[in-house]
Amino acid sequence: MMGRVDCARAERLAGTIALAEASDEQRDLYRAHLAGCQRCVDDLGGEREIERTIAVVARARDAESWEPDFRAAFAKGKKRRFAWIYGAVLAVAAVVALAGGRLMQAPQSAAPAAHAISSQEAQAIAALNTQTAPRREGRAESLKFGSPALSTSIVLRVDGRGEPMRCTIAHSSGDPALDESICRTAMHARYLRR
Amino acid sequence: MDGVRVEANRVASAQARVEALVLEYQTKLTRYVRRMVGDAEAALDLTQDVFLSAHRMLQADPHRKLSGGWLYRAATNAGISFLRRRKILRILPLDRELDRSTWRVDERSAASLDLQAALGHLAPEQSAALLLTSYAGYSSSEAAAILGTTSDAVRQRVCRAMRVLRRVMQEERNS
Repeated sequence: MMGRVDCARAERLAGTIALAEASDEQRDLYRAHLAGCQRCVDDLGGEREIERTIAVVARARDAESWEPDFRAAFAKGKKRRFAWIYGAVLAVAAVVALAGGRLMQAPQSAAPAAHAISSQEAQAIAALNTQTAPRREGRAESLKFGSPALSTSIVLRVDGRGEPMRCTIAHSSGDPALDESICRTAMHARYLRR
Repeated sequence: MDGVRVEANRVASAQARVEALVLEYQTKLTRYVRRMVGDAEAALDLTQDVFLSAHRMLQADPHRKLSGGWLYRAATNAGISFLRRRKILRILPLDRELDRSTWRVDERSAASLDLQAALGHLAPEQSAALLLTSYAGYSSSEAAAILGTTSDAVRQRVCRAMRVLRRVMQEERNS
């Protein structure tokens, strides 16, 4: 038995048709709704229109030729991406030195807090070749070379897990690109309690 | 000594399983994340984080089953978090346009650009629903399990995403 459907149900039916999961009965219901609802005709379109629209997604996917080249990305940004591996290696060295009864002071900047990765993990990731370039927004590309010293003050809200939630500019440097770059960098990090 | 050997076997087994996952999923998963966030380098970063999480998980529990669905769920959550953060940053004075320079020239077809433009207008959850189903090939019920919602909600999100895609295509045609 077919009853009338409202626009919200018609929306779900259109989604069902788009995903090629609609039964004949559901297609009939959708057609019946469109026959009496010009708004949905304009807004969602008929079945052929839906299928033509959704086909764009598969066409875009099938035409893709980009291969995520982790190795090339790795070579491009070698220094930066090696930072955490160096950190892990230095951490291992520190442990070995301590075990041998000697005190070795690890450099302060050895292991960035954002990548607290064990040496085993570092080795595993190195073996998998999945190292990637640092995030685009973390770079200081927006800074102008030779410009006078500028400063930006930010207020960063961090949740209980150390995940940044929101960054606002408390005092702008006057250079929006610098402000944005600083906020993006701050949002990228994880924060640990001391 | 036995303890050391067991530990070594556990690590090797975890690594072998992650390696198999990387080989099978790295291309499709990274492409999926790139579509979602619109940035190739961010996609590489996020995908690496997903594989690293898988590695950590398998090292902690080598018998745990990790499927493609788990990877897509982790990647989707990472993508949604990334998009939310980017949205937060839009309150800043500078709102840069989507950087298309990371897209290959041969991928700038009408279909590809229409899809990416539409994704830029969608809520992250709608993008995820559209991409998980029509792009990654999951059914509405599988996508619902990945997104932690119902099939009806997925169909509705797909419909809303499609509406935006349709509008983008019409605008493109009119211009």
